[in-house]
Amino acid sequence: MDKWLHPAIFYFIGSLLLPFIRNEKAKKVFILLIPILSIIDVAFMQVGVYGKFSFLNTTLIFGRVDKLSLIFAWVFVIMAFLGALYALHVKEDGHHVAGSFYIGSSLGAVFAGDYFTLFIFWEIMAFSSVFLVWYRKEQRSIDAGYRYLLVHVFGGLLFFTGMMLYYYKTGNLLFERILPINAGLPEYLILAGFCLNAAVIPLHAWLPDAYPEATVEGAVLMCAFTTKTAVYVLLRGFPGFEILAIFGTAMTVYGVFYAVIENDMRRVLAYHIVSQVGYMVAGIGIGTELALNGACSHAFAHILYKALLFMGTGAVLYMTGTAKLSKLGGLYKYMPLTMIFYIVGAVSISGFPLFSGFVSKSMIVAAAHHEGRITLMLLMNLAGIGTFLSVGLKVTYFAFFSKEEAPIKAKEPPKNMLWAMGLTSALCFIIGVYPQSLYQLLPYHNEYNPFTPPHVSEMLQILSFTGLIFFLLVKKLAPEDKMNLDVDYFYRKGARIFMWIDEKVISVVDAFWGELYRTFGLKLLFKNADISYGFDRIAIDGVVDGSAKGVRGLGGLAKFLQGGRIQSYIGLSILILILIMGFVIYGK
Amino acid sequence: MNVLKYIEMLRKDMKMLKKVLIAYLIILVIYDVIIHIGKHGHYYVDNIPAFWTLFGIAGCFILIKVAKGIAHTFLGKNEDYYG
Repeated sequence: MDKWLHPAIFYFIGSLLLPFIRNEKAKKVFILLIPILSIIDVAFMQVGVYGKFSFLNTTLIFGRVDKLSLIFAWVFVIMAFLGALYALHVKEDGHHVAGSFYIGSSLGAVFAGDYFTLFIFWEIMAFSSVFLVWYRKEQRSIDAGYRYLLVHVFGGLLFFTGMMLYYYKTGNLLFERILPINAGLPEYLILAGFCLNAAVIPLHAWLPDAYPEATVEGAVLMCAFTTKTAVYVLLRGFPGFEILAIFGTAMTVYGVFYAVIENDMRRVLAYHIVSQVGYMVAGIGIGTELALNGACSHAFAHILYKALLFMGTGAVLYMTGTAKLSKLGGLYKYMPLTMIFYIVGAVSISGFPLFSGFVSKSMIVAAAHHEGRITLMLLMNLAGIGTFLSVGLKVTYFAFFSKEEAPIKAKEPPKNMLWAMGLTSALCFIIGVYPQSLYQLLPYHNEYNPFTPPHVSEMLQILSFTGLIFFLLVKKLAPEDKMNLDVDYFYRKGARIFMWIDEKVISVVDAFWGELYRTFGLKLLFKNADISYGFDRIAIDGVVDGSAKGVRGLGGLAKFLQGGRIQSYIGLSILILILIMGFVIYGK
Repeated sequence: MNVLKYIEMLRKDMKMLKKVLIAYLIILVIYDVIIHIGKHGHYYVDNIPAFWTLFGIAGCFILIKVAKGIAHTFLGKNEDYYG
């Protein structure tokens, strides 16, 4: 095949045209048209390598199309449509533009065949998604957005350093599978950069920090793309790394542990992303064909049900103005449809038979079982308990029931939100009853059948008895109006120490010398104008006052440079991207 | 709304609901014991009948106790902790 159109093009060009459409209805049609076109594009895509050209002594590949990239492209474009439908009522063009750039760059990362192309899209993802947090327009969101961006810049730097060292070591930037025995510092730096985006503990704290502060519609997109693009690159580059099996399993338990004690619904779900991505990372670490297939199918299923859960809680937040469980309750009378869709998402993530989590998560658990990794298997099942306990029971019970009368009365959300939730629910159900629809997309040969009597019995026992214990201990689980510390404590407090040094030490020194200057310098100035003038200029201002001022000035300059860099950075990357896209379309 | 009617119906008859659910749990355990007859797997998790029942009960209990315990001792802070 010689014709290939990068699906990201629809999103990039579409988002640039969007602000020029004035008519409300036309705008809505256009917003939905972008993902529909990309779905058609992906549907007709043939396996092969496209968009290949030389750049600075290395080969850039924009279109590596194989079964692994296709399954992720499929779920990304489907999710893009559902996310666009859910966000149809949003008035700000900027929100749609940021969303489109974010989705487009995720697709770019999935089809990238070399580290350089991947890196460019990787960075556009971080810089466009942060706007989905900032559009919430609250101080908390703006702060969380800056932290999100800083952490991702750090991750990007790890990746970039690794990439440069990798080029130095191998002489090329091709993004291929790395064998654990060949891995040295460059590979592990790249791995660390990927792991940060996959929210592997202890590099995960940005996720539960930022996602709950994002806009209702933005969180639906964010939960799908950043971590799953990272899962894709880990699947591509690092299968069979033992460290991933261990950290992944630790993530599954760590995430549910926090989800059990969290009060904010969307933070519960954010911790569940850590937990669910943990299954995928563990699957990648186990590295058998069944485990890798499991990671793929779980990523696919996870994107849908996690988006559904974020849509449901987002609808509650949108209609009631809060996502805090301690303030909610009794909503089943007012938002029954939202509740049903949320429950579909909850039983899917918990892995109830006939819903999507059951056919995907169990592949990874079964792979651990096959390999004799019983400890890993038990921990994953423990995480399964926590998943049902917190997402399935705790949130459902405390948001929709628990109180006879709802403290906050609400109505069902707008129609477009309900439709998006309904369609996503249908997909979760279809995958659950007809797993072949998902399995046929898997990259490796697959013979796994989830509907065996021991497996159905295993899942039903785990989930049902979790339910029993929940209702026995329900009073213990009552949500509390608290926040819980996580490892972001270290950099949030660390930054405070830095700020403290800036405020107390440098400012005090500055003020002290200012005072000294006023009392002594001025007196001297009056008495011995000539001498003190020289002394002041050279000694006090130049050496002391000037140095403190210099430090603060440097800080200001750094701030200015950073602020300027973000904009020019985005601008430059977009420009490069458009140029390269142009080459790909017309050059080939 | 039809859904609402069903929910209200179930909420009115909680005793009946509880009985049905307990019966379901018992059937579940019996079913697991039955499918274990004459089967022998590689690992101990496959060979103990109703293993996952015990695992579910113990796991859920421990998870709640440990998580809430740690939250109450040092992880839980006021909402404005970071200012």
